[in-house]
Amino acid sequence: MALAGSPKILSVDWDKPESWTLKTYGGKYPALEKALKMQPQAIVDEVVKANLRGRGGAGFPTGMKWNFVRKETSFPKYLVVNADEGEPGTFKDRAICERSPHMFVEGLIIGCFALDCHLTYIYCRGEFRDGAIKRVQEAIEEARAAGFVGKNILGSGFDLEMHVVAGAGAYICGEETALLESLEGRKGYPRLKPPFPANAGGGLFKQPTAVNNVETLANLPSIVMKGGDWFNSVGLVPKNGGTRLFAVSGHSRKTGVFEAPMGITFRALLDDYCGGMREGSTLKAIIPGGSSSAILTAAEADWASDFDTLKSKKTMAGSGGVVYLDQSVNMAHALANVMRFYAHESCGQCTPCREGTAWLSRLCDKIMQGRGEKTDVDNVHQIARQMEQKTICALADGAAMPAKSYIEKFRADFDALVRQ
Amino acid sequence: MIPLQTPGGPAPSPFSPEQQSRFDADFGRAVAKYAADHRRAALLPVLHLAQDLLGWLTEPAMAYVGFRLDIPKVRVREVASFYTMYRLKPVGRHAIGVCNSVSCWAMGSEQIIKRCEEKLGIRSGETTRDGQFSLEEVACLAACGYAPAVLVNNYRYVENVTPQSLDSLIEELRAKPGNSMAPAPEPKKLEINRGQGEAPRQTEPQTTGPSGATSVQTSGGK
Ligand SMILES: Cc1cc2nc3c(=O)[nH]c(=O)nc-3n(C[C@H](O)[C@H](O)[C@H](O)COP(=O)(O)O)c2cc1C
Ligand code: SF4
Ligand code: FES
Repeated sequence: MALAGSPKILSVDWDKPESWTLKTYGGKYPALEKALKMQPQAIVDEVVKANLRGRGGAGFPTGMKWNFVRKETSFPKYLVVNADEGEPGTFKDRAICERSPHMFVEGLIIGCFALDCHLTYIYCRGEFRDGAIKRVQEAIEEARAAGFVGKNILGSGFDLEMHVVAGAGAYICGEETALLESLEGRKGYPRLKPPFPANAGGGLFKQPTAVNNVETLANLPSIVMKGGDWFNSVGLVPKNGGTRLFAVSGHSRKTGVFEAPMGITFRALLDDYCGGMREGSTLKAIIPGGSSSAILTAAEADWASDFDTLKSKKTMAGSGGVVYLDQSVNMAHALANVMRFYAHESCGQCTPCREGTAWLSRLCDKIMQGRGEKTDVDNVHQIARQMEQKTICALADGAAMPAKSYIEKFRADFDALVRQ
Repeated sequence: MIPLQTPGGPAPSPFSPEQQSRFDADFGRAVAKYAADHRRAALLPVLHLAQDLLGWLTEPAMAYVGFRLDIPKVRVREVASFYTMYRLKPVGRHAIGVCNSVSCWAMGSEQIIKRCEEKLGIRSGETTRDGQFSLEEVACLAACGYAPAVLVNNYRYVENVTPQSLDSLIEELRAKPGNSMAPAPEPKKLEINRGQGEAPRQTEPQTTGPSGATSVQTSGGK
């Protein structure tokens, strides 16, 4: 258990009874009290020092995003929370909302103060209504009663209103500009960028907007209390501060949400946190960060899980949803499953994505059913390459990455199914 | 494309009197989350309200939602049809959704779907003839570590499903009348109900203060 002694930031309270109540959280928001006495820019400076990277998927430096919004001169400004959690393999925001909603709400209030935002929306996937949404709403009510939300928060003169809005079932609404469209009452069609959400003209109701993931914001109380340098030092690799909530699923002995330092290797995560593979299982492949990320072979399990390492290896840390797959899985079948998802979820605005995902799904089904030829496998790879970097949002790239990598790394599984 | 500003035009309420008062209360809360000039943004929450009351989104319900929010019915239908949780036709009283995304798939979701099909005598995407059950495959529910996962009637999570636990779930549901997805009664009379105590309908965006904060009093609806 090499890393078992490493600090817990986000999951410290999870094993306590009624961990979701303000009472268990300590009855107070001490980081908010401290933050309200700081200059907003000083808070953002700590976040920059912390090397906090967005936990929603792209790993964008949060401090940098916040500075973009702060530089804008158009008001109002918004902070919008992405709690849409729909990337296959990912279930960690749900855990925060259900088990430690106050840590997230406190972080959100601090973020709004830092951005001079007085109205914030939490866009949560609709299916969470009776679970995560209920817990967050109860936490907001408790926070309001305690004077942490509303007018003149803790006597500081800072006002903030906070609302939860439920989505209605569309993976694409996790993409930040589709989320904003949906929050404005429309179909979740991603917007053409620029203008970016952080800039005037690109955000919610065309105002400068920071869109942040739940887990990103839940780190704020610790950064404010212990400082950006401390937070940065928790990460095992440069430029990747803090811990990460890894949502582990698949064929490991234990599955669930595990908090480990940013940059832990997939091998250590599996062995030290998840008890290795389940009985009779040998590791075959790893999905490192949600189904949109390029696959890893068992031999690549010693790769570090941070944003920069995985980017340099042509995959991505993504959403932190790690899927360990064993020898029972045929990767051609797995790819057919993954491609069906993207074909179904493409919003259809861009031709390469709409046609490409449908085509990939059809070809993969054909291969899986044993009706394919060798050229079909080559075509899957070729189509995927042509979809990259050509579309309004990154969904198309998220379909292309698995398509290419499953074939490159597990070609034998495909070849065994097709006529040569 | 029809501009969002085109008024929806009057439409009769599809609700019973009790449903109407619940709708009106929740409608007020949903709209209050947005500044007055952004009230149309409340379309998704308001569609949820209508569906929760009626079981599915009937044409009259969509027309009425459009009327209350000043959105043309075609735009309402366009939005409603984009999102999978909205039902544009009646489904069974118990709508069973089996997650078939990658983690659930790796943990045997296809056997669960097959078992459902056998138990219910329908294929995925169909409804039983008695209107009791519908079956569909759904995308990742954020329950991947507790796979396979099943969603009942849009909101109830059932996790770590085995063939045995699936059988008992179906028996449990069979014994229950179920209401959340029950087909809606036809609207009775043509009556325009705009609800009580609501501000006059606006057809032109009106400008208010600099931020929505001042005009918003209530928090997330309960
Ligand atoms: C297709 C697609 C789906 C996405 N889904 C989610 C999601 O469910 N949750 C999330 O936080 N970010 C999601 N993202 C990433 C967001 O666009 C955005 O980068 C993120 O919310 C920014 O917050 P962060 O910087 O705190 O990570 C998705 C991106 C794409 C392209
Ligand atoms: S890339 Fe795909 S999902 Fe994204 S906007 Fe284009 S069509 Fe829609
Ligand atoms: S893959 Fe089934 S819940 Fe995520």
